[in-house]
Amino acid sequence: MLNVIVQRLILSIPVLFGVMLFGFLLMQVVPGDPALVVAGPSATPDVVAAIREEMGLDKPVLVQFWGYLERMAQGDLGRSMISNKAVTEELGAALGPTLELMIGAMIWSVPVGIAMGTLAAVLRGSLVDRAIMALSVAGVSLPIFFISLVMIQWLGVTYPIFTFIGRPGPWYTAEGFMGLFLPAFSLGLILIGPVARMTRSSVLEVLKLDHVRTARAKGLSETRVILAHGLRNALIPVITLVGLQVGYLLGGAVVTETIFSWPGLGRLAVGAILSSDFTVAQGTIMLFALGFITVNLIVDVLYSLLDPRVRK
Amino acid sequence: MTMTSANAASAAPATEDADQVTAPARAHWFRRLLRDRAAALALLTLTVIILGAVFAPWLATHDPASNSRSIMTPPVWSAMGEAEHWLGTDGQGRDIYSRLLYGARLTLLIGFLAVGLGGFIGSLIGLMSAFNEKLDPIVMRTMDVLLSFPAILLGLALVAVMGQGVVPVVIALSVSSIPDCARVARGIAIGVMKQEFIEAGRAVGLSNLQLFQRYLVRNAISSIMIFISLRFGQTILIGATLSFLGLGAKPPAAELGMMASQGREFLLFAPHIAVIPSVVIFVIVLSANVAGDALRDVLDPRLQA
Amino acid sequence: MTAKTRSIRAGLGIATAMVLALPAAAQELTIIRNQDSNHYDPARTAALSGSEVLFMLADTVVGLDEDMSTIVPHLASSWEISDDALTYTFTIKEGVTFCDGKPMTAEDVAYSLNRWYDPETKSPVRWRMGDVKSITAPDATTLVYELNEPHSELLYQLAQSFGSVVDKETVEALGPDFGVTGFNGTGPFCWESWTPRDKMVLTRHEGYTWGPTNYENTGPAQVEKVTWQIVPEAATRTVAMLTGQGDISPYVPYIGVDKLRKAPTVDIVESNEAFWTNYVGFKITKDMVGDVKVREAINLAVNQEAMAEDLFFGEVEPAYSYISSGALDWDESLDDKLLTYDPEKAAALLDEAGWTLNSAGKREKDGVVLSPLAITFTGEWQTTVEAVQADLLKVGIDMQIEPMDATVYWGKSATDDFDMYVMGFPYVSAGDALNLYFRSSNIPTPNRMNYNDPKTDELLLTGSHATSDGDRAAAYGEVLATVHDEAIWLPIYHKPMQIAVSKKMKPFEAHNIYGAGLYKGLQLGFAD
Repeated sequence: MLNVIVQRLILSIPVLFGVMLFGFLLMQVVPGDPALVVAGPSATPDVVAAIREEMGLDKPVLVQFWGYLERMAQGDLGRSMISNKAVTEELGAALGPTLELMIGAMIWSVPVGIAMGTLAAVLRGSLVDRAIMALSVAGVSLPIFFISLVMIQWLGVTYPIFTFIGRPGPWYTAEGFMGLFLPAFSLGLILIGPVARMTRSSVLEVLKLDHVRTARAKGLSETRVILAHGLRNALIPVITLVGLQVGYLLGGAVVTETIFSWPGLGRLAVGAILSSDFTVAQGTIMLFALGFITVNLIVDVLYSLLDPRVRK
Repeated sequence: MTMTSANAASAAPATEDADQVTAPARAHWFRRLLRDRAAALALLTLTVIILGAVFAPWLATHDPASNSRSIMTPPVWSAMGEAEHWLGTDGQGRDIYSRLLYGARLTLLIGFLAVGLGGFIGSLIGLMSAFNEKLDPIVMRTMDVLLSFPAILLGLALVAVMGQGVVPVVIALSVSSIPDCARVARGIAIGVMKQEFIEAGRAVGLSNLQLFQRYLVRNAISSIMIFISLRFGQTILIGATLSFLGLGAKPPAAELGMMASQGREFLLFAPHIAVIPSVVIFVIVLSANVAGDALRDVLDPRLQA
Repeated sequence: MTAKTRSIRAGLGIATAMVLALPAAAQELTIIRNQDSNHYDPARTAALSGSEVLFMLADTVVGLDEDMSTIVPHLASSWEISDDALTYTFTIKEGVTFCDGKPMTAEDVAYSLNRWYDPETKSPVRWRMGDVKSITAPDATTLVYELNEPHSELLYQLAQSFGSVVDKETVEALGPDFGVTGFNGTGPFCWESWTPRDKMVLTRHEGYTWGPTNYENTGPAQVEKVTWQIVPEAATRTVAMLTGQGDISPYVPYIGVDKLRKAPTVDIVESNEAFWTNYVGFKITKDMVGDVKVREAINLAVNQEAMAEDLFFGEVEPAYSYISSGALDWDESLDDKLLTYDPEKAAALLDEAGWTLNSAGKREKDGVVLSPLAITFTGEWQTTVEAVQADLLKVGIDMQIEPMDATVYWGKSATDDFDMYVMGFPYVSAGDALNLYFRSSNIPTPNRMNYNDPKTDELLLTGSHATSDGDRAAAYGEVLATVHDEAIWLPIYHKPMQIAVSKKMKPFEAHNIYGAGLYKGLQLGFAD
C-alpha cells in the first residue's frame, strides 16, 4: 500500500516541477519589462534599474530560474505589484473562502448527483431515467454565469431570502450562511450532471458483475442488492470523477466568485490578471495547479485503496 | 458530456479504451443516429444555427454594430415590442437578432478552431506517444502539467500576456483540449498497436513513418475524430465564459458570451438582453452534447447497455 | 417607455418582498462601491477610491464646505496669508490625537506635507502644492507654509486627501506597507482591516472632536463601524441597495437611479455643486487626430444629448464645454461657440481635410483609413466609447477600441500608443481643471494630449499667481477659448453627484470634494 503512495508521490514531482516552470515562464513573457510595471509610469530610469537589480532581472535566465525555485521552496512568492502585500498573505486570505465555497457546492450536489444517477440506473430505460439523463445533460450545458445571474434575480431580489454581495462571515454564522447559500448552490448545479451520469453508468457496470448476480439469485431485495453491492462498488469511479471535477469546479468558481463578489482565489486571479498584477496572478495559478495535483494524488491513493483490481 | 467522460477515461483504467470503435458498429451509424429522436432534433438545431451563422450577412436585418435611439426594446412578441427589431434591442439600441447571428458566427468559429487545433495537436501527441515508448512517459507527464490548469485560468493568463482578443482565447481553449485529446488518442492508438497488421507491416520492412501514417493514423483516426467532436459543446461553453469575464472579442464585434455579459447591467429592466444570448449558448451546447452522446452510443456498443 | 412600466411592476414585487429582508446590525454602516484603491498612502495615490476612504481615516489642515467654495477650519483653527500671498501661517489645534492615542502637533502636519512634496515620495499630484519654498513647524501649534510664487488655489488643494496628516513613526515602521497593512491618522475613523478588492473596515475614533466646521457634528462619528464593500458588478450594486444589503452607495449605475428613487426604502441624495466632467481626449501629436478639422468633425459627429438620454437615462448633463458652466471662472462668452451635434457639418469638415469616403464607406486619405485608436476603461466607460464608435461610424470614421482594467489603464494612458483616451475628473474651478491638464510640464500625464503651447503655459501661470479675481478669470478665460478652439477634447457629460441612501439613515447633504460624496462621514447616522 505504502508502495502505491510513494510511487504516486514520485510521479507527481515532475508534474510539480512543470507547473513551477510554467509559472516562471509566465513571468518571462509578460508584456513589457516587469521592472517597469513595478516601478510605475512616473519612475525615472535609475529607479527602474534599481528595481530590476532588486528583482534579479539583470541576471541570466537560468540564474533567475534557480533563484525562483529557491524562493518557492521557502514559500516566498514575492509581493503584489499593486497592493504590495506579500503574495502568500493574499493567497492565504483568499484560500479559506474558496474552500468554503467549493465544499459548500460539493456537499449537496455530490449526494444529489449520486442519488439521481443510482435512480436512473435502477430504473434504466424508464421515463424517470430519461428525465434524469435529460436534466443532467441540460445541467452541463448551462453557462454558470447564467445560473448565477438567475439565482441572484430569483432568490436574492424577487424573493430576497439570501444575500449576494461578498462573504459576510464564516459559514457557521447566520449571515455567513445566508451569503454562502447562493454562490454554493449555483456552483453545485454544474456538478450534478457529471456526477449523475458517471454514477449511472458505473452502477450499470457493477450490476452486471458476478457477485451482484449471485446476491440477486440469493433472493435479496433489489434495493438491498443495489445499496449493499452495487452502489459501494460503483462509487469508486465517482470518487475519481469528483477529484477530476475539482479543476472544473475551480474554473466555475472563477465566474461564481466574480458575480457574487466572493473574496476567494478565483476573484483574486481574475482581478490580478486583469490588472496585470503578475506576481499575484502567478501565485494563484500555481496554487490552483497545486490544489488540483494534490486532490488527484489523494484520489489516486483512495482509488487504489478501494479498488482491489488496482491493488494487484 | 464530453469533459467528464474524457476525464473519467483518462483516470479510470476500466473505461480507458471505451472510445474504441469496432468496425461493424460503424455501419449505418448515421441512420441509427437519426432514429434517436433527441439526437435528430439536436443535429437539426445545430445545422440551423450553423447555417444562420454562415449566412449572417444575408440574414441580418441590421448592421450588428450600428446603434439606434430605441434602446432596450423588448422582443416583438412582447406587448412593447417593435416590428423593426424581432428580438428587440440592447442597451445601445443595437438589433439583438442581427447581433445574435454574428455572435453565433464568432462563438462557433472560436469553438471550431479551438477544438480543431487542440484536437489535432493533442491527437498527434497521443499517437506519437503510443508509437514511441521512450517518448511516452515524458509526454504524458507534460500532459499532466497542462491538465493542472483549468481552461478558464489558462485563458486569463494568456490574455494577460497577449492582450484581449479572439486569438488568445482560441489558443487557451486549444491548449486546454490538448491533454484530454492526447490521453484518449494514446489509449486508442495503444489498442491499434497491439493488432497484428502492425507486426505484419514491420515484418514487411515498412519504415516507422510509413507504419505511423498508413496503419496507426488510418486505423485510429475515426475514433479520435468522434472523441474530438464530443469536446465541442464544452469548448463553446468555456469560450463563452471567457468572453463573459471580459476577455475575447473586442467591441463592437458581437460574441454570444460578451452579449450576455453586457446584458447583465440591464437584467432588472430588460432581462431579454442577457437572457437571449445565454439561451442561444445553452441551446448550442445542449445540442452538441446530445448529438455527441448519441453518436457515442451508436458507435460504441459497450456503452449502449 | 417600456422599461418604465416594467420597472414599476418589478418595484412593487420588491416592496412586498422587502419585509423578508434581514435587518442590518445597528450602528454598523455598509457602503457599497465599485472598486478598490491600490493602497491607502495619501501622498502616493490620486485615485478617488483612495481619497474617499482617506477622508475618513485622516484629517487635513483645512476643510471644505459642501458649497465647494468656503474653506473651513479643520486641523488648523485659523490662518493668515501674507500680503504678497507667499506665506501662509496656520494655527494648529491642540488636543488632537492619532488613532493610537499619541497627540498630534504642527510637527506632524509639517512632516506629512513635506512628505507629499518630497520627490522621493513620487506623488502623482505634487504639482497641487504650488512652488514650495519650505513648510516648517516653529512650535507645536504653528505651521508656516512658504511659497516661491503665489498659488491662488493653495487652500483648496490643502483640503484634499493628499495632504492628510499621518504619523511619522507608523510611516517609517511600516515602510512600503504603510496604507497596506496599517495606518495611523487622526480621522473620525480608524483602520481596522483591509482585504484588497474586497472590503475595508473602519472603526469609530473615540474621542474625536476636531471635525471640520461645515458639519453640525464635529465628532465623534455617529456610527461605530464603517465597511466599504467592493461590488464590481454595477447591476448587483443596484439590487444590493434595493434589498437592503447596503446602506449607502455613491456608485449606483444610472440605469438603476430612477428605480431606487421610486423604491420605498431608498433615497437618492443629489448635489447641485458637483463638478465632474467625463471627456475623451485627443493625442494631438498623432497623425490620425493631429488635424484640428478631424477633431472638430469628431466633436460634431457625436450626439452627446442622445447618449445622455439613452445610455445614462437622463441622469447626466450632456457636455459640450470642458468644464461645467457653473464652475468658478467659466467664460460665458464661449457658450455659443461650443461644438454641438451636426453630422453633416462633420462630414463636410472631413471632406475639407482630405479624408474622403472610400467604397467601403470609410474615410480615407492617401490610402490610409481614418481609424483612430481609443483606449478605455472597461465598464461604463466602455459603453460610452462604444456609443462614440457607433456615432463616428455614421460619418465614416472607423474608430478602434481597446478596453482595459483601470489599473492597466493608468499605465497605458501615460504612453504614446493611442490616439484617443477617456478620463473623468473632479475640479473646483476652471483654474483647477486647466492647470491639471493643459500645462506642458504635465506631459505625458495628466496632459495625455501632448498639448504644448507656450502661450497657454504663460496664461496658466498668470492665472495661478493672480491675486485679483478679475485677472485670474481673464487669464483662464483666454485659455478656455484657445483649447475649445483647438478641439483638444471631446466632452461627453457633466456627471452629477448621486448617492443612494437607505431610508434607515438620517438625511444628509452630499459633498463633492474630489468626487468623494461622503467626505468625513461625520454626518452619517441611523435614524431612530
